[in-house]
Amino acid sequence: MKIVIADGSHQADYIIGMYNNRENELIVINSTLSVCKYLSAKNGISVLHGKPTKESDLFDAGIDNADLFIALSENDVDNYVACKTAKKLFNVRRCIATVINPKNVDLFKQLGVDSVISSTYLLGEQIKNTSHIENLINTLSLEDNKINIMEILVREENEVCGKTLKDIRVSDIASVSSVIRHGQPLIPNGDTMLEAGDKVLLVTTKEHYDELAEIFQRKKA
Amino acid sequence: MNCIVIGAGRLGKNMAIMLCKKHNVMLIDIDRSAFGDLDEYSGFMEVGDALDREVLENCGIRDAGTVVIMTEDDNKNIMLADVCRQIYNIENVYIRLKDSRKEKLVADENVRCVCPFDLTLENFREHYGEATL
Repeated sequence: MKIVIADGSHQADYIIGMYNNRENELIVINSTLSVCKYLSAKNGISVLHGKPTKESDLFDAGIDNADLFIALSENDVDNYVACKTAKKLFNVRRCIATVINPKNVDLFKQLGVDSVISSTYLLGEQIKNTSHIENLINTLSLEDNKINIMEILVREENEVCGKTLKDIRVSDIASVSSVIRHGQPLIPNGDTMLEAGDKVLLVTTKEHYDELAEIFQRKKA
Repeated sequence: MNCIVIGAGRLGKNMAIMLCKKHNVMLIDIDRSAFGDLDEYSGFMEVGDALDREVLENCGIRDAGTVVIMTEDDNKNIMLADVCRQIYNIENVYIRLKDSRKEKLVADENVRCVCPFDLTLENFREHYGEATL
């Protein structure tokens, strides 16, 4: 593959490390001279000092017909224009841009950038999908989301606090694998009584997730 | 017609003043302090980043017939032009380009480019004629 890496510093370094082999032709262009020197010395490749938003510099870099163009600068607008220039004037097949402002993820996609990555955006999506802030439930999904491992913090105000697992009666819908108390995992049985500060680890299916979240988040009357 | 001018620098401000004589104009700038010297201006003003779609929509982009894009950054102007044309289908989009070579990026996209540098050079050439040079 012919891959162009435009701007960025440690991200560029990482990606060069990933793709710098005999199967790929790597073209690296960076607008900061010190970064050029660093990338060049560290990876043993030549780096063009130039602006990825300038047609003449991209021409000098020889990016025409590249398979992939990756725009990594910290300026979202520059990344957009670099991608646009690469596609429109140099017939690059596919463009990836990183963005700082998570709002730009959707905007860039609507404007035709093939892939858009914002670490803040991904963080937001992850939080949305896997945790309930209120009772600090962490979830790990396996088997394509069909199995959930829930880690639920028990607080003093929860109804389940002070009850035994037998009384809480979740054995039909979950398997309680462990209770972590003061940092130590216990293998529980029906008589294990939950204390405030315990973290309950249970395995369940997607269908029972909400019901279990509700049982463990319910507060004492 | 409803017009939006993005960028309240000297050019942007004067274009807004020109337009407000016959049209409804909304002038947007990211910097509050840009809105000085507007005694002859009779349109609306808004402080905000035009790259934020919420700001654009609050400024009435959906009803705008003309958008004039005059920020200091060619790249920003090009991106804003794309937003106006591709997302909001604005009929008349004008942008300033300091570097007229960037005009290629909006070729066949129905975006009109105003290049002050080239215009000034052309103006100079007209005044002094080829013979004198």
